[in-house]
Amino acid sequence: MSNSKITRRGLLGGAAVGGVATFAGPWKHNRVWAQSTDKPIRIGITSDASGQYANSGASDRRGMLMAIEEANARGGALGRKIEFMHIDTETTPATGSRVAERLISREECGFLIGAVSSGVANAVSQVAQRYGVIYMNTNSSSPTESGQNCHRVKFVWDGNGTNFSKAAVRNAISTYGEKVVLLTNDYVWGHDTAKSTRALVDQHGGTVVEEILIPQGTRDFSAALLKIQQINPDIVAAAVGGDDQIAMRQQVAQLGMGSKPAWINNQQDWPDVYGLPLDNLFGVFGTTWYYGLDLPGVKEFVDRYQAMYPDTSMRVPGNVFYNGYMATRELLNAIERADSTNNIAVIKQLEGHVMSAEERMQHHVAVIDPNTHQVQQTIYLATANDEPRDENDMFRILTQSDPNDVRDEGSLEACKLESYEDTPAFDA
Amino acid sequence: MDLLLPHIVNGLTLGLLFAMIALGFTLIVGVMEIINLAHGSLFALGAYFAMAWIGGDWFGASEFGIWWASLPVGMRYASALIFGPLCAAAAGMVLELCVRRTYGKAPLYGLLLTFGAALVIEELIRISWGTGEQSLTVPQLINGAFLAGGMIFSKYKFFAAGFAALSIVCVWLFLEKTPYGAIIKAGSHDSEMVRALGYDLSRLRLLVFGLGAALAGLAGVVMAPIWGLRPHIGVDVIIPAFLIIVLGGVGSFWGAVIAAALVGLAVGITGAYAPAWSMLSMYLLLIAVVTFRARGLMGRKSALEN
Repeated sequence: MSNSKITRRGLLGGAAVGGVATFAGPWKHNRVWAQSTDKPIRIGITSDASGQYANSGASDRRGMLMAIEEANARGGALGRKIEFMHIDTETTPATGSRVAERLISREECGFLIGAVSSGVANAVSQVAQRYGVIYMNTNSSSPTESGQNCHRVKFVWDGNGTNFSKAAVRNAISTYGEKVVLLTNDYVWGHDTAKSTRALVDQHGGTVVEEILIPQGTRDFSAALLKIQQINPDIVAAAVGGDDQIAMRQQVAQLGMGSKPAWINNQQDWPDVYGLPLDNLFGVFGTTWYYGLDLPGVKEFVDRYQAMYPDTSMRVPGNVFYNGYMATRELLNAIERADSTNNIAVIKQLEGHVMSAEERMQHHVAVIDPNTHQVQQTIYLATANDEPRDENDMFRILTQSDPNDVRDEGSLEACKLESYEDTPAFDA
Repeated sequence: MDLLLPHIVNGLTLGLLFAMIALGFTLIVGVMEIINLAHGSLFALGAYFAMAWIGGDWFGASEFGIWWASLPVGMRYASALIFGPLCAAAAGMVLELCVRRTYGKAPLYGLLLTFGAALVIEELIRISWGTGEQSLTVPQLINGAFLAGGMIFSKYKFFAAGFAALSIVCVWLFLEKTPYGAIIKAGSHDSEMVRALGYDLSRLRLLVFGLGAALAGLAGVVMAPIWGLRPHIGVDVIIPAFLIIVLGGVGSFWGAVIAAALVGLAVGITGAYAPAWSMLSMYLLLIAVVTFRARGLMGRKSALEN
């Protein structure tokens, strides 16, 4: 029988050695918190509160907060309360980097969520990958986000420019004609979307006769619109976003150019047009969701939104809110399924995860592509609703596309995800 | 030339609108030597008050509200062209009462105070009218488009440019032909001498700030149907306004008007032929001018050129 005895000195020494070994050992952990802790799970919100996408950023944030509140009402995730910290990314990539760095290293956030601008999303994701922190890109939709700028830690929840173009271009060329002018916001999302549209126009027998670049922050579109009138195309394919797009829509409507030529707006974020007059909603545009879809769960979702945000000027949830909500909810579900906050375990739960049409409130089953980390989902084409049920009912859904029909093959080729081994381990 | 002409016309139209934005700014800088960074916010404030006025937001479903809503849009819009600037003027005068504490101190104090005021006004707009996009209703008569020489132009933009031209002439007549104008001009040259002559300098500054703010508010009402309305629209305004007064020569009335026309032309023409450069063109224009003429096109000679 051993006569060894645990002394106070020995116990303290052992604890010290254990502590040092944990933090200075040969593991690539950036930070280790004990599991089964009641320490809250902290989420860093990286949405824009100022700049071109301030309005969409606010809607994105509201979606995340509703998902967080619902999770907390159920007891959080893994029995831990969900907390959040928001810092404005100002629709500026450099600010996005700084915000991400601060949220991870100083505010101890274990997950990052939120983006509307693809430039900001790219900047945030680079920092997140360096730390191994999972980042949900909720609403930015440049094809590069799930293509050449993809990362193992980043998941992209919105449809991208290629998905929307695929849904719209073929129909537009066969219906309206083959002469196409591209109107392109002069930054990453605009360029990449225009590149996809150009390829699709070529593929379907159309001709891009001109590409007009629109610098970010443009408020006067007269020069571009006069140019379009001089060229007289059959179709204008516009990839102009945020406040620029609002100004553009108002000026196109004022000139009465909304019906001829035909307009394809690759994507339409609800906060950008909410409250605008009907004649501002010209053209056909893509969206991932609409509150007017006649599907199970939609009404309850709208009711929950209205109960949580009784004073918000947007009286119904839009696509940006929806993406923010879904991304947050699915992240928390993945943590539960992984039974861990370890990043690799959660990433593995997200990769290839299949979501039923019912839980997505869409027409088709959606899946998180394990090779690009983009959610492959139903893409809807919509136009202005000239017979609205009420003042919110601005869109009329024209078609829905199966995710497989609008898949962005280019992203699949361009995306080279880091290996699990090259992704630092991180435990929140 | 046929292709270029519409873009020249468009550029000059844009220039007149820029001039309207810059005039109030240059007036305040000229007389008080304060760069009012809240100028853009006063522009936004004028537009939002006009929007609320036209829509009758404050009257609700009251008897007066119902009567108000039944009035023709043209009448409500015309009265908003007075109401919006008056509200902006009132806000500007309140701002001046705060700013006057910084007179005689380092310029940084005035800059910080007006920057803070800009943030406060933007937040107040957000709280009062929300973050979403709003639109300002205009009468049908000046809405829509017209064709000229086979090219399509916005009726409203031409109305706005005409209105801007009229406002510029009125302000010029006020400054040139009225005793108040003479005092303001004298104040911009030597405010202490104006005080020595027995004029109440405080009242003069209050008046000028109010007038500058009213011009900002008026520009806001006129521009809102073109640019749309969002709480941070003031930011879109302050940069061109600042650039125009530097380009034209700080404190110079016609300098600001000419600079605005040049900026409008640069933006309009590059917008058609080299659109990626359209926003940059105004900065390049400024660099080109101040490299050879540091005082701006019509600015007074400064120590930089001694």
